[in-house]
Amino acid sequence: MLVLHLTLANLKMTVRNRQALFWALAFPLLFVGFFALVGNFAGESSERAAVIDNAQDGVSAILIEALAGLDGLELEASARADESAARAEIADGDLDYLLIIPAGMESAAASASGGAEVVVAQSSGASGIAAAEVGRALALADLLMAGASPTLSLKRETVESGGGGFDFGAYMLPGLALWGIMSNSIIGVAVALANYREKKILRRIKASPMRARTFFSAQILSFMAISLIQAALILGFGSLAMGAAISGGLLAIGAMILVCNMAFLNLGFIVGAFAKTASAASGLGNLVVLPLAMFSGVFFPTDLMPSFIGATTRWLPLFPMVEALRGIALGAEPLAAFGTEFALIAAWIALTAVAAVWVFRFE
Amino acid sequence: MPDLISVQNLTKRYGDLTAVDGVSFSVREGEIFGLLGPNGAGKTTTLECIEGLVTPDSGAIAVLGMDISRDAAAIKRRVGVQLQASAYFDYLTLREILALFARIYGCRPSIDGLLSGAGLLESADSTVAKLSGGQAQRFTLAAAVVNDPDVVFLDEPTAGLDPQARRGLWDFVRSLKRRGRGVVMTTHYIEEAEALCDRVAIMDRGRIVALDSPDALVRALPSPHRVTVGFDGEADAAALRALDAVTSASETPNGAFELRTSDPTATVSALSAWAARNGMRLARLDMRTDTLEDAFLALTGRGMDGMGEGE
Repeated sequence: MLVLHLTLANLKMTVRNRQALFWALAFPLLFVGFFALVGNFAGESSERAAVIDNAQDGVSAILIEALAGLDGLELEASARADESAARAEIADGDLDYLLIIPAGMESAAASASGGAEVVVAQSSGASGIAAAEVGRALALADLLMAGASPTLSLKRETVESGGGGFDFGAYMLPGLALWGIMSNSIIGVAVALANYREKKILRRIKASPMRARTFFSAQILSFMAISLIQAALILGFGSLAMGAAISGGLLAIGAMILVCNMAFLNLGFIVGAFAKTASAASGLGNLVVLPLAMFSGVFFPTDLMPSFIGATTRWLPLFPMVEALRGIALGAEPLAAFGTEFALIAAWIALTAVAAVWVFRFE
Repeated sequence: MPDLISVQNLTKRYGDLTAVDGVSFSVREGEIFGLLGPNGAGKTTTLECIEGLVTPDSGAIAVLGMDISRDAAAIKRRVGVQLQASAYFDYLTLREILALFARIYGCRPSIDGLLSGAGLLESADSTVAKLSGGQAQRFTLAAAVVNDPDVVFLDEPTAGLDPQARRGLWDFVRSLKRRGRGVVMTTHYIEEAEALCDRVAIMDRGRIVALDSPDALVRALPSPHRVTVGFDGEADAAALRALDAVTSASETPNGAFELRTSDPTATVSALSAWAARNGMRLARLDMRTDTLEDAFLALTGRGMDGMGEGE
């Protein structure tokens, strides 16, 4: 089969073209890694607390232990001495809580008359969890000092929440995969065509008995194969780095990728028809790729955009693709659940195919 | 013998420009046929019509007895094409490119044989980018004969090559002829047409102004021979013009005379006799026969705009 030999030759050329290979594979992976890091920072919302312990007795030990045991609170291991310096850190946002324990806590608790005041200084943006915990610990210490043994207790349970939180990785990953494939397909096809035309390779092909159809089929097949490799790498690496669980069937995901790539390749052929040189094709390709990625909810939700833009972007090709891939890859929903999305994708494929045939010229 | 190619009244217009204007010729089996002319004469367009790359506005073209407008696919299978400024895939080796082209033509040639025929066997596993200009050009020829074609089309095969690389290419073209293949080539190098072609069609402004073997084209000139003569005494051009077979005579700046003659032998005898009669001897005598370049000048009535560059 000639078309298979041509496809293999195309893949061979892609693998040997290191620079193009980098853009096709490594570059989207770098983005996945980058967003995975950003995502981890965003998810790490722990607060920091410091202690000035003037008592150094049994009661202050109870208070410090209570704070140290709090989830989501990072307590400095050693106590501070300089109160004004610590307050300045809170003002600068470097510290969230400062617990100031006065001297003689134990004796104050033991005496019936004398009281002691514990201060929790907190930044205006703090959640207040430290103050609440200190209050609880103080009440406990009072009881213990009075000789009573506590009979009522609290048990905390954590329930894994699926839909409640914003799962950064799960949100970004399908978009990043489609974005990587889209860039490579649109720019790759456009550059290849412009290059072949510039070097008269298209003319040489036309002078041979090979049908133009065979030549273009091989181009499409090789880019389809590359898109599957891209998807496997990006989704695979992403599920490791971002902790996003790929629960959908691989067949459904693969089919979804190939369908989406049809529209991308058509767009690539259109760009390649207009670009006179390979470098012009690269620039023109980016001009198409960038807005498609920006306004399709890949990098941030379209809800954040002005409503008229948000409404427009729903009709761009990448938007329904990302929606459908999110559902299929991460939600393990069936392909059939995305009828509207696939109708829109099919419309884009048909539209771009007609346009590609219309504008394409051999020379 | 049947003609390899027959072109009848071929015309191709691009807007207001008539690139090829009613051209007719035929190419015989086993000959090297040249289309010679300056840039823009219509050589390449003529060739591309025969190759099936350009659709003519009118006229009929038959290649190997088949009509190009009906049997283009069958013709393409049996002809070899080398294009001007032809480049090949960047990231495939010479061997891989030839193997791919063999697949495209559905044939199984000896790839090593093709490469050694072009003197490229040592470069078999390097890419086109690593070849010199002459090697790259030879490679495009090797790729043009992958399907062992009956006729090979070469468009400016030696454009931009140094004289040595050009001679290497000429050897390759001659080897095609030795194997009985027909060759149709365009060139704007007159000495290339003279050295390689069995017959040459001189094209100018979309038309063929003359078509014959290079020798015959020169012989057809009214007085294709030039005699330069000097005497050890006084002479004048008018007296020399009256001698046998002389058609024109003029004095050169250094005191010699340049005569044009249709019969150089008769003119030289007459010159010695005339000198003896006038008590003089010949101080110098040079003879030169016109070249295809002179024939071209005479036929087109103008100089070789942009021709012979790169010498």
